[in-house]
Order: sequence, then structure tokens, then C-alpha cells
Amino acid sequence: MDVWNQLLQGFATAGTPINLLWALLGCTIGTAIGVLPGIGPATAVAMLLPITLQVEPTGSMIFFAGIYYGAMYGGSTTSILLNTPGEAASMVTAMEGNKMAKNGRAGAALATAAIGSFVAGTIATVVVTIAAPVVAKYAVLLGPPEYFMLMVLAFATVTSVLGKSTLRGFTSLFIGLALGLIGIDQITGQARYTLGVPELMDGMEVVLIAVGLFAVAEALHVVLFEGRVVETQNKLTKVHMTKLEWKRSIPAWLRATFIGIPFGTIPAGGSEIPTFLSYATEKKFSKHKEEFGTTGAIEGVAGPEAANNAAITATLIPLLTLGIPTSNTAAILLGAFQNYGIQPGPQLLDTNATLVWALIASLYIGNVMLLVLNLPMVGLWVKLLKVPKAQLYAGILIFATVGVYGMRQSAFDLFLLYGVGLLGLVLRRFDFPAAPVVIGMILGPLAEAQLRNALSIGEGKWSILWERPMSATLLACIVAVLVLPRLVKMIRR
Amino acid sequence: MQRSQTLVAVGTLAVAGLLAAGARDISSEAGYAGIGPNFVPWVVAAALAVCGLWLLWEALTGGFRNMEDDGPAPEVEGDGKPCWIGFAAVSAGILLNAALITTLGFILSCALCFVLATRGYRASQGHPDLRPATLVRDLLVGLVIAAPVYWLFTKLLAINLPGLTASGWI
Repeated sequence: MDVWNQLLQGFATAGTPINLLWALLGCTIGTAIGVLPGIGPATAVAMLLPITLQVEPTGSMIFFAGIYYGAMYGGSTTSILLNTPGEAASMVTAMEGNKMAKNGRAGAALATAAIGSFVAGTIATVVVTIAAPVVAKYAVLLGPPEYFMLMVLAFATVTSVLGKSTLRGFTSLFIGLALGLIGIDQITGQARYTLGVPELMDGMEVVLIAVGLFAVAEALHVVLFEGRVVETQNKLTKVHMTKLEWKRSIPAWLRATFIGIPFGTIPAGGSEIPTFLSYATEKKFSKHKEEFGTTGAIEGVAGPEAANNAAITATLIPLLTLGIPTSNTAAILLGAFQNYGIQPGPQLLDTNATLVWALIASLYIGNVMLLVLNLPMVGLWVKLLKVPKAQLYAGILIFATVGVYGMRQSAFDLFLLYGVGLLGLVLRRFDFPAAPVVIGMILGPLAEAQLRNALSIGEGKWSILWERPMSATLLACIVAVLVLPRLVKMIRR
Repeated sequence: MQRSQTLVAVGTLAVAGLLAAGARDISSEAGYAGIGPNFVPWVVAAALAVCGLWLLWEALTGGFRNMEDDGPAPEVEGDGKPCWIGFAAVSAGILLNAALITTLGFILSCALCFVLATRGYRASQGHPDLRPATLVRDLLVGLVIAAPVYWLFTKLLAINLPGLTASGWI
């Protein structure tokens, strides 16, 4: 088996002391970031993007991947112990986890979350290992029209599936696309919307947009509106599951893993949907329905947490083989690849085989590290929750400065950062989703290039977009994504 | 809320207008594709204009649909008023940092930002706490965060951050 050979070599690369160190560092920082309210994995990876200027690609991608799902492990700790859920994906965990914690079962909730994440993450990694080369093999057959359609599909799902209003989703998306237009046009080399400012010629920096939209906007939102919110913390109990709790958790983990994986691979905007789906499934199958929403059902924590991790891991398949990010953090990882001049896509497995397989191997290693970091050492992380809000957010601003200034050494960027922060504050205040902005900005220029290449192939005829069978199928998918949910709603009424 | 929503909608329309104005200056030289570098800018401008108009319609007819927080937002419990003083302090911290980072150096400029921002958060929590002792403590905490970060990035990772002196330690 060729795949297993390559994976073995991946382990050899990922197992070098320096790469193991990067993985450990990533997992540790990721867990800390997951535990701390205020910044998520997307922001954390964005802030640390300047390291791509110095560290070689394999090390830094291993590091970033560690942060990516370290944050998912850490996030569950916060949502179980603190009565204010952080990011959307842990909201479901918070519902049941919090109830369990209030009833003195915080330890069991934490254990099922961590072990469930491990099980789901590992199974999903196996799927990535097997599926990535297969997907890449077929992806080579895709031409510019198909790629363009895939990217439009990603836009459509991210905007119409996430958030409550498709209109606000699309507004966000087009703002992101507009930001992506700033800079040099990739095909003709013409400057667009640069206003003669040299910093804008290079385009908007991913770090700037992500850190501004997530970290600075969050910091401004907290100072304006959340000053008087008092957080209460549940008591931590011994991290341990009884035999019955194991018996109830295991099927939930497995079901959730298979709900999570497909949702990570299709461009459906990350892990919110699978976590909710898994929660609904567990509620339906459970023999202890009376515990849901009252004393807290362990399946309600086990399932969503596993689904979350499975989806997160599976986002790597479209990212690595098609170059299409399906979540915020994946979009930023794509930015990291671009900083190295690497364009993820079907050729990546050939041109950068060492990097890809080391990255995949590091996922296996990272999952083990995270299990150790999160089970016996959970007490340590809980202490992070005691950091007072004032110092926490003021500290986040310092890290934001490092990330943004470190990328281009320009004070102009720091003013721009504040502007993007204000934009993010308005988005947040009026309930516009932020993810489409980031995905639109990063994927927009790529989609534009694909569209223009596609039309060149078709000698200027738009019909190329629906005459080829694959792109016609994708077009049908796009229409379905936009129309079906509305149709279902109308029929229900 | 409705008036501010109208403003947001008008703002979206303004962005669309600016994009369209800018798009007129971009060449339309198309090559084989039939569409030039100005095509997507026009599409985005038009789409944002549609979104803006739609948002305006929603804002004027009962407000944005399906908002997360109908009525007072859950997070604005307490006195329910946004804390503008705190906001000003945090904004000042970020902007002064941007203005001073090349002259004061990373560490001092960030520590200053930290002190201003903590003032803002303390004010938003209802106790600004301007006693010299707390000020000094916040300054020290700011330094303790900024300095190791600076050394880590400049010494270990060789990423350029501005310093006050050429020694590279401050």
C-alpha cells in the first residue's frame, strides 16, 4: 500500500525532535487559546502568521494544525465550566455540559469531551489519510470552469447556511470580495483600488483582516457592551467516567464522527451544522431523554464534541486537495500556504508530498498529545479562566500588534487594523456573519482568476460554465443550496 | 436600533458607490476571456448595491429580519448603556500604539496601549481605578507581556519589530 508507506515517511518527518516540538507548542498554545475566551483558532493562527517569514513550511504547518484543533479541545473546557459559551461550535456542548457541571459532574463532561475528541479526531485523520490521495486523483481532472463553480459553491454554502439571514450573509461575502479586490490584478497586473498607497499594492494582508475582524472587534465589543456581564464558574470535579458513562458515550462518539466527517469535507461552513445535527440525533436515540436540558445528558456532550473534531479534521481534505477552505481557520491556513508560495490543490500531494504527509502524521501525534494535555492537566488550564477581563483583552491587543506589525513592518497596517476592527464591531453588532468576509477575501481573487481562465478556454463564451458535465452538476448544487432551504420552509408553512 | 440599521444600510450603499466609482478607472482590456480586470469590481459593486437597498428596505420596514437579539441584547444587562468612555480609552490605546510604535519601540508602545486599554475595561466594569498603584501595576504587567514577546520574535524568530534603542533588548 503506497499510502501507508508515504504516511510512514510522514511520521519520520513529523517525528524529528524539532517538528515534535512545533506540534507540542501548537497543541499547548491551541489549548490555551481554546480555554481563554476572546480569541479563537482563526485569530490565533492569524496572529502567528509572521512566523512563516522565518520558519520552514513543514514546521509551521504542523504548528498551525496543532493550534487549530488544540483550540477545539480547549474550547470544550470553557463551555463546560463557564456559563458563557465561546464560539458557535461549542455552544451545543455548553447546553448539556453546563447542566452536567452544575450537577457536580463537570469531570465526566470534560472526560467525555476530551476522549470523544480524540476518538473522532483519530478516525477522521484515518479518513483524511485514505481519502486525500483519491480526491486529489480526481481533482486533477477538474478544469478552471469546475474550480470556479466549486468556489462559488463554497461562497453559497458559507453565506446561506451560516447565520440567520442570507441577505446579511451575502452582504458580508461581497464586502470580503471587495477587500480581496484591493491590490494587483493577478492576470493583467493592473492595480485596483490602491488609491496610490504603496501598502495597498500588495493587497490586504490576511492577518490584518482576521485579527481585525475577530480580535480587535471582539475587544471593542467587550468594552462597549459586555463590561458588566458577570461570569460564573462551575466547580471542577475529578475527571473520570463511570462504566455506565463509557457505555453511553462510545456510541455517541462514533455516530457523531460519521456525521462530522462529511460536513467537514463539503463547503458548508465548518462545524456548526454537524454539532447541532449530532445533538439532535443523540437526543432522539437516547434512553435518558429526561436528562436532556435538565440534569445534563452525557450523550449531549459526547456527540457534539466528537462531531466538532471530526468536521475540523475533515476540512483538511478540501483544503489540501482542492485548495478550498471550508472554515475560517482553514481559510487562514490557506493564507499561510500562500505565504510560502505554495498553492494547495491536486498537485500538492506530488509537489509537496513531504509536507502533506508530515502534516497528516502530525495530526495523529497531535491527537495523542492533546489527550494527555487535556485529561490529566485540565486543572492547570482551568486556572486560565481566572485571568481578569481587563488584562486579558488588553493583552490580546498586544498580540494583535505583534501579528500585524510583524507581517509587513508597517505602522500603516496598525491604523488599518483599527479600521477593520470597527468594521468587525458593526458586523457583530448587527448580526452579520464574519466568516464570509474572510473566505470571500481569500477565495475571491482565486475564483476570479479561475473564472477568467475558464472564459478564456471558452473563448469568451459563458456557456462553458454549464456545457461541461461536472461544472453543470456543480451549478445544480449551487442552485440547490440556495433554493432548497427556502423551498422546505415554504412547504412547511 | 432601527435608525442605526438604516445607517448600516446606507453605509453598504456608500461602499457600493465607492467601488463603482473606482471600477470606472480600471481598464476593461479583456483578452481572450471577454471580461477584463474591471468585470468583478462591477459585479461586486452591483451586488453590494442590491444588498444595501434590500437592507434599507428591511431597516425601514420593521428592522433587520431574524436578528439574534430582538429587543435589548442579552449581553447589555446591567444599565444597558454602551460604555463610550471605555471604548474611547481602548481606541486611544490602539491608535497611539500605531502612531508611536516606530518612535517608542514595540515594548514601551505596547505597554502604553496595555495601560490605556485596561483603563477602558475597568471603566466598562464600573470602576475606572485611576490610583497610581494600579496604574503602575498595569504598566508592569504590560511590560512583562510585551518584553518577552518582543525578545521571542526578534531574537528567536528573527522577525523585525521596532525597538527604542539599537541594542535589540528594548
